[in-house]
Amino acid sequence: MSQEIKLYVRTADQTRRAELDLDASSTGADIIQAAVDNWALPADTDYTLVNTTTGKALAPGDDLSKAARPGDVLEVQPVLVAG
Amino acid sequence: MDMLRNQRYRRHDLIDWFSQEEVSAARIAVVGAGAVGNEVVKNLALLGVGAIDVYDFDVVEPHNLTRGVLLREGDVGRNKAEAVAERAAALDPNVRIRAVPGDFWRTLGIRALQDCTCAISAVDNFEARLKLNQLCLLAGVDLVNTGLDSRWASVESYPYGSAPDVACYECTLPDSAYGRVAERYSCGGLRKRALVERRIPTTTVTASVAGALAASAALRFGPETTTGSRRTLVDTLGGAATTVSIPRRAECPGCAAYVTPPRVVRTRNRWLPPSTVADPSLLTLPLRLSDALIASWECVACGPLEAADRYVNQRADAFDDSIATCPSCNAPSVRVEIRDAFTLGELVERYGPRPAPVKFALADLESGTVCFDLDEDRPS
Ligand SMILES: [Zn+2]
Ligand SMILES: [Zn+2]
Repeated sequence: MSQEIKLYVRTADQTRRAELDLDASSTGADIIQAAVDNWALPADTDYTLVNTTTGKALAPGDDLSKAARPGDVLEVQPVLVAG
Repeated sequence: MDMLRNQRYRRHDLIDWFSQEEVSAARIAVVGAGAVGNEVVKNLALLGVGAIDVYDFDVVEPHNLTRGVLLREGDVGRNKAEAVAERAAALDPNVRIRAVPGDFWRTLGIRALQDCTCAISAVDNFEARLKLNQLCLLAGVDLVNTGLDSRWASVESYPYGSAPDVACYECTLPDSAYGRVAERYSCGGLRKRALVERRIPTTTVTASVAGALAASAALRFGPETTTGSRRTLVDTLGGAATTVSIPRRAECPGCAAYVTPPRVVRTRNRWLPPSTVADPSLLTLPLRLSDALIASWECVACGPLEAADRYVNQRADAFDDSIATCPSCNAPSVRVEIRDAFTLGELVERYGPRPAPVKFALADLESGTVCFDLDEDRPS
């Protein structure tokens, strides 16, 4: 039953980007984890996901079938904690 | 004096979207007087904001001086809020600036927050952000949250006071952030003794970008293009920025409980004897407290000990995990029961005429969630 959706995923500094076929039931948290693993992003940072095409932030549990459409660009952004 | 005052703001009056009257009527709570707090307070003071309350528990250290426009070498060792407020006051004598030293969780009440136009979070950890988010949600006051590292600056607006049903700080917060809060505690609420805090380097460049956008967001400058919550992330190397709206999450741990904004009821922090409670069924009313309390403290080997009196019914975060070691047998065999859920009857039994060391208690009544504000006579 799983459907695939083609999306672009990039880091906020845009030094990393990939065109991915993702399961439509993947969540924001899944995509962040894959980005951290595949791109070896600093593990001591926390990340959040935004859909730059729709201009909306994703919640960790949001699945792609609701939060993105084919061709959308998702950006992995750091959750900043210093002040 | 009035002439000087009018001349001071004359250039502001030339800006068509700038209302000095509104800015001068604003009261802003700035929580955290570190790198961002310095920039925020400087901006608010120069803009002529009516009143600024600066909250910080920390003292100035030499490394703060590279990111503190309002700090001087002579301030090392002073409370940050006091040092920042004092120098900011000299920028514009028309601005009322108040320094509030100490932990804002103890010094900033819901009622005082409700007197503010907005609270700006300029703190340096997730736990403080979660707490300020809760307070702003309960008070129904706008929150502007800031964050930094050495390259990025983010500013988020959560207009709890001016738009209904908006996303909160926790709506997009990743699980890993809760993990970082949990790392600071053991036994479900005692502070960890050997905790090494993460040190994230920043410069005044990211702090000044965040501080400028935060002041602008707090005063709601510019056109109202979106009415909901939003986040701007700026890459200070190069200047690229993205702004996104933040949708409300139905199952959010921060705001899902408040389908409608909670009703805040100021209550005396006293717990009457059960016999005087008119409706005994009230005694079984479940309450969620603002702070986790030590419900029991007992060594599994030695049984009840006198030392329990020092810990039971106190706030768990007032102690570190050394209290899980038994003073009698020296083994780590003390069972410390910590919780934030109590019935009204339990609080009556435990505290009687004494105040409980909590800020507020939440109850889900048929009419919706009620927040009993217990701050007024809470023990410090
Ligand atoms: Zn929320
Ligand atoms: Zn013992």
